[in-house]
Amino acid sequence: MTVPATATPILELRGVVAGYGETTVLRGVSAEVAAGGVLAILGANGAGKSTLLRVASGVLRPSSGSVLVDGVDVTRRKPGSRVRLGLCHIPDPRGIFPSLTVRENLLLQAPRRGGAARVGPVLATFPRLEQRLGQAAGTLSGGEQQMLAVARAYVQRPRVVLLDEVSMGLAPNLVDEIFGFLRTLAEQGVALVIVEQFVHRALAMADRVLVLARGRVGLSAAAGVVGEAEIFGAYAGVAGTGVAGSNGNGVARAEPARGGARGARGARGSRR
Amino acid sequence: MRNFLPFIVVGVTAGSVYGLAGLGLVLTYRTSGVFNFAHGALATAGSYVFYDLWTRYHIPWPLAAAICVLGLGGLFGVGLERLSRRLAGAPAVVTVVATIGLLLGIEGTVAVHYGAETQLVKGFLPTSTFRLPGVNVGWDQAIVVLAGVAASAGLALMLARTRIGTAMRGVVDDPSLLEITGFDATAVRRAAWILGGGVAVLSGILIAPTIGLNPLLLSYLVVQAFAAAAVGRFRSLPATFGGGLLIGVVAALGQKFTSNFPVLLGLPASLPFLVLAVVLLGSRQATLPRAGMVRRPRLDRLTPLPAVPTAVLGALGLVVVLAIPSVMGARLPVYTSAAAYVIVFLSLGFLVKTAGQVSLCHAALVAVGAVAFSRLAAAGVPWPVALLCAGLVTVPVGALVSLPAIRLSGVYLALATFAFGLLMENLVYRTFLMFGSEGHRLAPRPDLPGLALSSDRGYYFLAVAIAGAVAVAIGLLQRSRLGRLLAALADSPTALVSFGASATTLLVLVFCCSAFFAGVAGGVLAAGNHAAGPAGLGSLQSLLWIAVLAISGNRLTSSAIVAAVLLAVVPSYLPEGWQNFQPVAFGVVAVVAALLAAKETDWVAAVKADLSRSPRRHSRSPGRARVTDPWRSPVASRQEAAP
Amino acid sequence: MKHWLDGGGHDLDGLVVEDLTVRFGGVLAVDGLSLASPLGMITGLIGPNGAGKSTTFGACSGFVRPAKGRIRCGGLDVTHLPPSQRAHAGIGRTFQRIELFDSLSVIENVALGLEARLAGSSPLTAVLSRRGQGSAVAAAAREALTRCGLSGIAQERAGVLSTGQRRLVEFARALAGGFRMLLLDEPSSGLDGNEVGHFGDLLRDVVRSDGLGVLIVEHDMSLIAEICDHVYVLDYGRLIFSGTPGEALTSDVVRAAYLGTSPVELSATPAPVGR
Repeated sequence: MTVPATATPILELRGVVAGYGETTVLRGVSAEVAAGGVLAILGANGAGKSTLLRVASGVLRPSSGSVLVDGVDVTRRKPGSRVRLGLCHIPDPRGIFPSLTVRENLLLQAPRRGGAARVGPVLATFPRLEQRLGQAAGTLSGGEQQMLAVARAYVQRPRVVLLDEVSMGLAPNLVDEIFGFLRTLAEQGVALVIVEQFVHRALAMADRVLVLARGRVGLSAAAGVVGEAEIFGAYAGVAGTGVAGSNGNGVARAEPARGGARGARGARGSRR
Repeated sequence: MRNFLPFIVVGVTAGSVYGLAGLGLVLTYRTSGVFNFAHGALATAGSYVFYDLWTRYHIPWPLAAAICVLGLGGLFGVGLERLSRRLAGAPAVVTVVATIGLLLGIEGTVAVHYGAETQLVKGFLPTSTFRLPGVNVGWDQAIVVLAGVAASAGLALMLARTRIGTAMRGVVDDPSLLEITGFDATAVRRAAWILGGGVAVLSGILIAPTIGLNPLLLSYLVVQAFAAAAVGRFRSLPATFGGGLLIGVVAALGQKFTSNFPVLLGLPASLPFLVLAVVLLGSRQATLPRAGMVRRPRLDRLTPLPAVPTAVLGALGLVVVLAIPSVMGARLPVYTSAAAYVIVFLSLGFLVKTAGQVSLCHAALVAVGAVAFSRLAAAGVPWPVALLCAGLVTVPVGALVSLPAIRLSGVYLALATFAFGLLMENLVYRTFLMFGSEGHRLAPRPDLPGLALSSDRGYYFLAVAIAGAVAVAIGLLQRSRLGRLLAALADSPTALVSFGASATTLLVLVFCCSAFFAGVAGGVLAAGNHAAGPAGLGSLQSLLWIAVLAISGNRLTSSAIVAAVLLAVVPSYLPEGWQNFQPVAFGVVAVVAALLAAKETDWVAAVKADLSRSPRRHSRSPGRARVTDPWRSPVASRQEAAP
Repeated sequence: MKHWLDGGGHDLDGLVVEDLTVRFGGVLAVDGLSLASPLGMITGLIGPNGAGKSTTFGACSGFVRPAKGRIRCGGLDVTHLPPSQRAHAGIGRTFQRIELFDSLSVIENVALGLEARLAGSSPLTAVLSRRGQGSAVAAAAREALTRCGLSGIAQERAGVLSTGQRRLVEFARALAGGFRMLLLDEPSSGLDGNEVGHFGDLLRDVVRSDGLGVLIVEHDMSLIAEICDHVYVLDYGRLIFSGTPGEALTSDVVRAAYLGTSPVELSATPAPVGR
């Protein structure tokens, strides 16, 4: 991508273990993203992608591991205070309030001071929303709702945006529109963490890829060096499609009996 | 038409207060998920304090009103937010018990402090009138209507236009999204509760001159609020206010119409209960808002005590039971009614603790049994047969109550059964069907030659024996297939139905079984008192019973005994005047018990999580220490990221 | 109940879905789906998020009403039966979000798999068990517990178990019910790698020895690859692939669906349907 991810990471997750009640979903995941960097998080359903974003934004508190913003530990901080540090989380499904109007949705997300001024520019980007300002967000079409969710991120003036399946159930041209917008955000130096089903789109935009499998890092590599086949292999956990430097994190060691099939989950990306 | 106008004026006046009260209720319910049965009790406290400040301390009424609405209402709001936060996610019955406990506590405190009788108070608003076309309107009425409308409109405006109002609507939509939008959902809820508390207090102050100061009547303002909220389907604020107006006007007009028909006298006053019952019965659960958050697992069934202590306890209990008549003397009737209450609590506990259902009309079922028994016995039916038949007569009523249970659950079921209890009390109790115009019916004790069962002593043993038999019967039911199915129904109806059982059948069955035993209890209770009467079987008693049962423990039989002792025996040992504190005590303890119950599930979950995590944590930790994960080491990952 | 082996033609066995269509509002969630999950085999139903797997599963278990199509089990049309009647038609299931009777013990939970069906909808059978039913239920529960390796925790309360154990108890409960078809809804979710492996082995053993049919919705492709005899792949509510797991993993169509290549490209590729 345009900005090399060499600076101190804006957002960093270290060894996060998290779950719901007594179901453990994340089993020790680390990730980081720097200003202007785009991290794509891929993986099958239930792999822990959304949970990772929830831990990052503070909706879910990890049972161990930590979350750092600008190198400062924010693991114990509430979501609200992380928003003030520049974190923005667009959850799935639909990060909007259906019973509020489009305008209210935007203004609620805007900072008290100066946020309202950002509503104008974002409406210029998504003219469809402008026509529906006074309409309840729940009455918008799926695509418009997702646009609204992304537009809300913009008015917040964030430094990191966590996006959960923004393209879910949308027509391809709408997805293009939303991804185009995200690209401009990234070019302005906003860090993006994208959970995405449309792998090729994610790959086209990301500079790093993290594939989760059953709550562990199955593959982590620079986006330029991995092909779709490798990612599908890590996804499916079956075809250990020749990613070098496999197994740094001891996953395979935990299950020696199932080496061939499951060992690939431990595969890590080769260095560039 | 001209004749109706004064009634319409009265109706609109009362209706705007009902509407306002309903708004406060809906606002707090939707934002927090806790349905506040004590909403009317806040109005009670507010109006009493207001009159104290105004009449006794001579504070000008506008200032007194402001102090009450802002200070007291705000205080209530802050407290209720804390309460509701602790109750979040607990099963509906726990939140119902907590807010009912609060109702009992506040209502009881006011009754103890100011007296339970109605005090007629002078209006604080000018009573001079002005002329509208066709009707004279009092300035006080006009001001009440204006205040109600203004407060409602202000509330609506605040919700529509301000940032905090938008956030309140947002917290209804999605609390966690609101958090990641940068708001503190707790603070937003607290604001809503403060508004709700203020609105409740204001509605109490506005309505007090009309209905007088009476702790129970004012606390039951909550029913009008319920009905108004039901018209708004617990969702729409304008419809809620409109519903309040409608109920006020129709009830006032009804007063005019029914004044010529004595049979229908209770009808206008019962309109809110009717509206509530009809709306709830006409609704499917899915169409009503689900304000509750995640339901935590219900883990309140304790493992049975080991056999030996149980046997020892049983033997001890038997000795106590046998010794009581010799030791207690004149207090014996208290223990006899306690035995009857054991049956009441067994039947209620079977419903609440085994099947996870809620019933706030159990007193009505007991009343039906008491009446059936006394009528059958009066008709010459042999005593034991009359008692059994009293139970059987109550079964169809139980089946009737099970109808809402099939369609509704949780707080809506509680409301529907509460409405049923209120309807029974206000419309049916006084008719020939039940206690009749005399207010009670004679209920004989059995007369068997050779056994002095009609003496206090003999009847005591009979009542204890019947209670024992019911305990055994319910114990057997619990251990039967039905008991397992009911426990399963309480835990996961979805799974039970998927495996081929019918939830409808089970719900009807459990309500019928519970009603049967409630009917028997009614008979035993009536014969103990020599008469069946409505005293002690009002709708408030149903609330009291649920609260007492909630604080009496988890095991069915022992909790029934403890509850009966608390309800019937303990007050007779209290010094004169202390009895009045009973509802307060039950209320306070019920709130505490509900909080503990909400916390207990939390605690169990925490232990569970710990138990399930710790072995894995141990097995994993050495592996983690040995393996170097580049993602965990900032240096390595930095190197990696570098091109 | 007729034993599953007595069934005549192959298509009468197991679960057969024909031309299933489900709409939610205006959205076509499942579009003309046909599949067969025969007895003695494990059939996988996979696909990316939002492909319509859960909807199909819901239609089979009776919680989703189809707009069109038929669902048969053992030759019996169950399309419009409520969930409780499907149990009587021989369909047992597990839940993605575990639904156990938390306040009951493990053995009581497992026994209810059979007892709930015996209770049925009659008030009489809901209270009393017929002669011999009690011991039959106990025997079925004990056997299911043994097979799932849960005998050691039979008296534990289900509410205090770990997720892995709870998944197994759910499976044991379905097993004790003596159903001819089991529908498993993401049985591996929330499990760690070892637990998934054990579960896969157990499932294969059960199917091999009992000959019942299993339809499994699952996201873990490696589990699917290990245990399934046949897989159907859905995308955008339509069947895009049907074949062995090995074929599925090397199929370009499946890969494209998972990696989110646009659906336009997909429809250009004729989907190989049928077995």
